[in-house]
Amino acid sequence: MIELSELVKIYRVPVKSPGLWASVRSVFSREYTEVRAVDGISFTVEPGERVGFLGPNGAGKTTTLKMLTGLLHPTSGSCSVAGHRPRERAPEFLRDVTLVMGQKQQLLWDLPPTETFLLNRALFDLDRREWQDTVDELVELLDLAEVVNRPARNLSLGQRMRCELVAALLHRPRVLFLDEPTIGLDVKVQQQVRRFVRTYNERHGATVLLTSHDMDDVAALVDRIILIDKGRVRFDGGLRDFSERYGAGRRITVRGGLSVLGPLGFTAAEAGTCSATVPADEVNPLLQAVLARLPSADVSVNDPPLEDVLARAFGEQT
Amino acid sequence: MSHVLRALPDLMRVGVAGAVAYRAELVIWILTATLPLVMLAMWNAVALDGPVAGFDQDGLARYFVATLVIRQATSVWLVWEMNYEIRSGRLSTKLLRPLHPFWQYATSMLTVLPMRLVVLVPLVAALVWWRPTLLAWPGLTAVLLALASTALAWILTFLVQACFASLAFFLDKTDGLFGVWFGMWALLSGYVAPLATFPDWARPVVELLPFRGMLAVPVELLGGFLSPAEAMTDIALQLLWVGVFAVLTGAVWRRGIARYGAYGA
Repeated sequence: MIELSELVKIYRVPVKSPGLWASVRSVFSREYTEVRAVDGISFTVEPGERVGFLGPNGAGKTTTLKMLTGLLHPTSGSCSVAGHRPRERAPEFLRDVTLVMGQKQQLLWDLPPTETFLLNRALFDLDRREWQDTVDELVELLDLAEVVNRPARNLSLGQRMRCELVAALLHRPRVLFLDEPTIGLDVKVQQQVRRFVRTYNERHGATVLLTSHDMDDVAALVDRIILIDKGRVRFDGGLRDFSERYGAGRRITVRGGLSVLGPLGFTAAEAGTCSATVPADEVNPLLQAVLARLPSADVSVNDPPLEDVLARAFGEQT
Repeated sequence: MSHVLRALPDLMRVGVAGAVAYRAELVIWILTATLPLVMLAMWNAVALDGPVAGFDQDGLARYFVATLVIRQATSVWLVWEMNYEIRSGRLSTKLLRPLHPFWQYATSMLTVLPMRLVVLVPLVAALVWWRPTLLAWPGLTAVLLALASTALAWILTFLVQACFASLAFFLDKTDGLFGVWFGMWALLSGYVAPLATFPDWARPVVELLPFRGMLAVPVELLGGFLSPAEAMTDIALQLLWVGVFAVLTGAVWRRGIARYGAYGA
């Protein structure tokens, strides 16, 4: 459904030193530098897959999404989405994809979201009955019936973001590009958005490529992670493989007992527990040491939290 | 094209809803475009001692009121809107929809026209009360040709602005550059003075430039200064310039869109 081969995007960016003289000089002679935002990315996403496209700020995630939606033209390499070359922006391609950006909006600011829905019906040339069915379905799924007739400017961020999702999915796209879709939302709305994306994916078999810095998004939505940094793919695999590669061991959690276990490397964790993360081959010796000191300890052994894994993965890359 | 025709009613409906939402701003914009009335007052004083370039006071009144109406009917602000949307990345939203952004801009600007009429009609009625000779009927053929010529003037104005706006893909910001064109337009389109006031040696050149087709041709038809037979050449010239700018704008857009940075969006 999505294929990238050695995709490269180089930006030509003007540079100017600070100060008046530099400003005057830049009027006559402007200097440029080249930034390789995406540096030879290749991967494939199958139909119906939900993939997390992760990386630190400036890694090239959003640039890649913009190339995959045809907004940016690649400097070299190739990509195809749903059988189309995105840069050609063929109407059939635009009916197959959508791009939701958490910090940008397509809602008409002074009009109710229903007007944007109507506008998109015209722009995507949707059958009136199918459009109405889709609006009803999405409005119900996102619990928006009470707010869609109020001007967008009068809605809360969470209500607006949910309306954005409706507007972005009215044409029932087969490929969803979601760029930080839950940024700035409260926990309840975040959960609602995640549930919605999952339901849409399962109901319509849509392919989802998601960028997010929120690990709850990743844990709840994706089965596969593609990690990029400095414009190159550093990891591509399942969530479990990702944890094993970057998790650097396992996390032993003990309820209480920090004063006794502190010398063994345990630190305070959430809800009255303490924990230590150690390489896999040190788990058993450490468990024996814990049980020797606290024979009736309540102990659990897990993968480390995704935040820690990702922080470690980013740390290794940067 | 069939998609455009199917989409038009809904695009218009949403456009009108938007125009109504910004009604206060719209009235202010319309009132700021009343320079022709200022020019009328000025030229009226000049014509006190006798006709100027063949225009007596009644003729000047007809000319500048027609200028006011045609200017409102051909008002386009694409260059400023597109410049902003290219620089801010908001153009991306339009690029992700299967109807070309030019259609989206065009319909949003056309839907404001009826709102402009609401303000324009009482203004023109007051002017007719002041000078009843404004009601001089130029003839049905002239009025029909004036309507066609006004449509062409709108399309030409839109394409010229689309061309300048598309240069923003290369130059970051082109509304300043367009200011130079606008200055030439004000002088050479008949906006500040009838083109008949130009010296004889300059007029043939001025009449060949695109500016006349953006305002003066429908104004002169509506004011009764141009016969339908004479107007045919001018309308043909309007069509020619529409063709030239359609090709030019298409070429600049296609090359420019490949350079679009989609910054911030």
